[in-house]
Amino acid sequence: MTRLSPGALRILALLLVLVLVAAFFATQIDNYLNARLFNRISSSVAIVALIATGQTLVILTRNIDLSLGSVVGFVAYATGAIVSAAPEIHPVLLALAALAIGAGFGLLNGLLVAYAGIPSIITTLAAMAIYRSALVEFSGAQSITTEDLPQWLVDFPNTQLFTLAGVQFRAAFVAAVVIVILVHLALLRLRPARALYAVGSNPEAAEMAGIDARRTVLAAFVAAGALAGLAGLFFLARFGNITVVAGLGFELKSIAAAVLGGVSINGGSGSVIGALIGAVLVDLIENSLVRWELVSEFWREAVLGFLILSAVSADALLMRRLTRLRIRREKAAPAPTPKEATS
Amino acid sequence: MAVPVLALRDVSKSFGATQALSGMTLELFPGEVHAVVGENGAGKSTMIKIMTGVHEPTSGTVEVDGQPVTLSGPRGARTRGISAIYQEPMVFPDLDVAENIFISATDLGLVQRKGLLREKASQLIARIGMGLDPDRVASGLTLAEQQAVEIARALSQDVRVLIMDEPTASLSAHEAGELRRIAKGLAAEGVAVVYISHRLEEIFDIAHRVTVIRDGRHISTRPIAEVTPDGMIAEMVGREVGNYFRKDESHATPEVLLSVRGLSQEDVYEGVSFDIHRGEVLCMAGLIGARRTDVALSLFGIHPATGGTIHWKGQEVRIASPREAMALGLAYVSEDRRKLGLAMPLSIRSNVTLATLGKVLTRWGLLREGRERAVTQGYRERLNIRMADADTPVGKLSGGNQQKVMLAKWLETNPALLIFDEPTRGIDVGAKAEVHDLIRQFVRAGGAALVISSDLPEVLALGDRILVMREGRQMGIVPHEDASQEAIMRLATGQERAAA
Amino acid sequence: MFKTLGLAALLASCATLALAQAKTIEPGQDSGGMVLLPKFLGILVFEQAHEGAQEAHDELQDKGELQFLGPTPENSVAGQIEIMTTAGTQGVGAVMLSNNAGDQIVPAAQAAAQAGTKVVTWDSPIPNGEGESVFVAQVDFEQTGRVMADMAYDIMGGEGQFAILSASPDAANQNAWIASLEKVLGEDEKYANLEMVETVYGNDQSEESYNRALALVDSHPDLKLIMAPTTVGIQAAAKAMQDEGLCEQVKVSGLGLPAEMVSYTLNGCAPQFALWDFRDLGYLTTYVAYGLATGQLTGEVGEQFTAGRMGDYTIEADPGREGARRVLMGPFTVYNKDNVEAAAK
Repeated sequence: MTRLSPGALRILALLLVLVLVAAFFATQIDNYLNARLFNRISSSVAIVALIATGQTLVILTRNIDLSLGSVVGFVAYATGAIVSAAPEIHPVLLALAALAIGAGFGLLNGLLVAYAGIPSIITTLAAMAIYRSALVEFSGAQSITTEDLPQWLVDFPNTQLFTLAGVQFRAAFVAAVVIVILVHLALLRLRPARALYAVGSNPEAAEMAGIDARRTVLAAFVAAGALAGLAGLFFLARFGNITVVAGLGFELKSIAAAVLGGVSINGGSGSVIGALIGAVLVDLIENSLVRWELVSEFWREAVLGFLILSAVSADALLMRRLTRLRIRREKAAPAPTPKEATS
Repeated sequence: MAVPVLALRDVSKSFGATQALSGMTLELFPGEVHAVVGENGAGKSTMIKIMTGVHEPTSGTVEVDGQPVTLSGPRGARTRGISAIYQEPMVFPDLDVAENIFISATDLGLVQRKGLLREKASQLIARIGMGLDPDRVASGLTLAEQQAVEIARALSQDVRVLIMDEPTASLSAHEAGELRRIAKGLAAEGVAVVYISHRLEEIFDIAHRVTVIRDGRHISTRPIAEVTPDGMIAEMVGREVGNYFRKDESHATPEVLLSVRGLSQEDVYEGVSFDIHRGEVLCMAGLIGARRTDVALSLFGIHPATGGTIHWKGQEVRIASPREAMALGLAYVSEDRRKLGLAMPLSIRSNVTLATLGKVLTRWGLLREGRERAVTQGYRERLNIRMADADTPVGKLSGGNQQKVMLAKWLETNPALLIFDEPTRGIDVGAKAEVHDLIRQFVRAGGAALVISSDLPEVLALGDRILVMREGRQMGIVPHEDASQEAIMRLATGQERAAA
Repeated sequence: MFKTLGLAALLASCATLALAQAKTIEPGQDSGGMVLLPKFLGILVFEQAHEGAQEAHDELQDKGELQFLGPTPENSVAGQIEIMTTAGTQGVGAVMLSNNAGDQIVPAAQAAAQAGTKVVTWDSPIPNGEGESVFVAQVDFEQTGRVMADMAYDIMGGEGQFAILSASPDAANQNAWIASLEKVLGEDEKYANLEMVETVYGNDQSEESYNRALALVDSHPDLKLIMAPTTVGIQAAAKAMQDEGLCEQVKVSGLGLPAEMVSYTLNGCAPQFALWDFRDLGYLTTYVAYGLATGQLTGEVGEQFTAGRMGDYTIEADPGREGARRVLMGPFTVYNKDNVEAAAK
């Protein structure tokens, strides 16, 4: 049996929690565990997962980006405006535009955090409000509606790529998962990406080791902005109706997903696969709560918060157990223990 | 002699009104181990920061190969082959050993090739003669292993000058020996090694030349053969100090203050049993990873023990929190000043009264500032704390003075048993002797002390009895009369085990 | 053509009776400036109200300025209170408020009123009526319930389960409409077989409304209709049903904008929905506010006036809120596949 890395253990613990949550709600809600549940969750996770992935990159560097929700909203509107003005635009071009606009906002955040030295929580708190107001200004308080969009775009999120026993794998979900995996591989294999972990776990040491910490932080913000931009395009395609409230609250949801997914809020530790599972978990809890008759509308937010806390605790507990198990196994495997050696 | 690879010429550095270095001159030649000694606050750290490009000199020049240069930042220094490793190693816990070594390498391409990285890492690790798995994640490495990683990282970039700042302060004697062996080997390969240490015996073991600095000034540079320990210490402190190695007679009384039987904590340590008498100093020795600090943390209620018994003045007690420990009369002077000991941004006087705030509050809960100042002033004199005034943030003090502030804080709680964890780590010889005197005074006045130390001469100088641990197990208790460095090391390395 | 309701006829007759005494509002005076304050910016219907207000403002040749000021969505309640407070401090002639802040707006509105600013509400009133001069009601709230009940009855064929997707639990207008719907369902035998199973809230956000609509379908397997008395909600619900291929099973109805709903009405996802004209609402509100601010109207119950192209109206006691006064605009228009395309243009 091969040794499990701490990262793999973390994912295992998360999947266990996911199963526990699903099992719990299955006892509470009729007609719960079915293909439809998967279709619901996967469709909305497609958007959140992209944002959570971006958020993870930023959190890895020991920063935070509160402006991502506003970026999603702005890009959703902007790409909507582009595509209604030029309905013939090539899909790839539109996606590039979404990435570029998002990256632009990320660049702004990154410059302020990395080079002007303003703490990220302050920078992006301000940016959240400024980008949202920019959207109000840019949109002239008008909204985009489905009628303005070309059919291919509206059809994209729900196009079924393949179906397994009623479980539909839809284009947006598959695209998002592919992107998350690509980012995961990049984080694992690209040398500059490893610097994210170094900078996040010990910024001082990274600087001493000769890493350009500022450029690394800047890159994380730009990438997060670009991913949020892409999420904005997905948002446009899925909901069609874009008002100035679009994407409101996604910044917090993405942080919740990342943290649930085992990304350390202190930076330097975590994976985007974890964030993806975290996003699924948040969405599963949210979706199930709406259907749980025991909880009234007014308590739902509180229960959501409570469940997130419980899931994090359960995860931490499981993690500790699993780590201990692993250590025991490692101890047991090589050479006799000191006790035997000295007796 | 050849051209020095790195030289400081008449370098001065001031921070505001503080003159940290004045007219410092130092030449480093390839292949030498150059020890730099001086008390804390003598200007060693500033000098290192100038050599590694962290600070720019206020005046004077830095030369590389005889040419004046400006080292713009640590990266600039690294590209010129100048690297430094520190007392607290700077590794990245989530990355593996190979990645840690090559984190800043620019010639390995964009995509990480695991095989290549592992192979190159293995070569470097072999070069410094350490048995380290390149695939191991750094979070599980011991301090010594982390330092090896840092050295390998420096080697990965054709290091020409390696500055080692107190590299052995946190290491056990065995590990420190390994590290010195590595440093010697590098020097033999032509690297100029700057070696900074408070352990004089190390310097005599390793250095070719010794530079003494004091108050930011260059005092002397001599070949090691021309240096004696007493002469060096005298130059460092500018005064005679009492014999560091002296051990006065035991003050232990028959009264047992603390009695511990079979103390254990699941998966951490087990079977620890000892008594401490009033007036006694019990030292705990062992290598890093011996779990001595964990025992102390249990006694002080931070991580309560899961098994065994504790008797305090004959009564069985359970200590579940530091509050309970303090109520009994225990005090714990932590090894980690930053994390567990001092509130760095707060003033000296706030730190001194932190554990005993009740004493300086009025009936209405308001702070009596005058009282607080008076208390602080008392300790300033008693412990010889060097400070501008009591409102200075503790973070601005030197390590030795921080240690004294921490001691003051605990003495103010009027404890019966003081637990010291590495009381003199990283502080200079003068302050070390002072701390030892304070501990002796404390037990002579009817207290008792449990001292955890990795510094064997210190253990021998202080301890009435010496408890040795290894990997969470008690290996034996040696009375002072029978103790020697060799005897302790045999227990600590598991070569033998004394009857408990 | 539009199918108007009996209520409209009733109103028309009221207006005819009152014609003789109606005041003509004189143009060319100075209102002292007017602020049109929507719930928040970025919603099409408020933009339409602004257009109507601008039309009336131009027609009246008001010497004061008309400003369209609103909070950002995430800051709606605090933003409304702040804008109201600032308007009162600056002493503008009138604030036209679509209230999203419940009774929390009362202190600011009272302060503004004491400073001489007329507070005219539209679309959504101040629940307890304090600080408010008069409420320009788009439709009779009591009648809204009947309109929704009738649409539900039609679509569901007189029996079955339906659920409500509303905006937020704090929205006074939506709550009043839902209350009146419940009342109608309880009182009229005709609707005895319509069962209202749940009310959920989408906070006027597309994604939240969309997800809530799907959750309703999951929770209630026999659900036949989602009634959404909010333009954001009805659109999101219709899109959700269409995306998931549920239009045959679950229909959507409520209050919606023809421009946003036209495709869903034509493909059968939302066969009927209702709305009034927000341009007219903005227009009428501006007439009332201008009249009050210039002193031409007193705001007394029984006062009658002519509002430009829209004809004559009367200020009356608000039946839903004790002590408050209203001007009732009406009528409702119910849209279906026959009239929606023309209205969407």
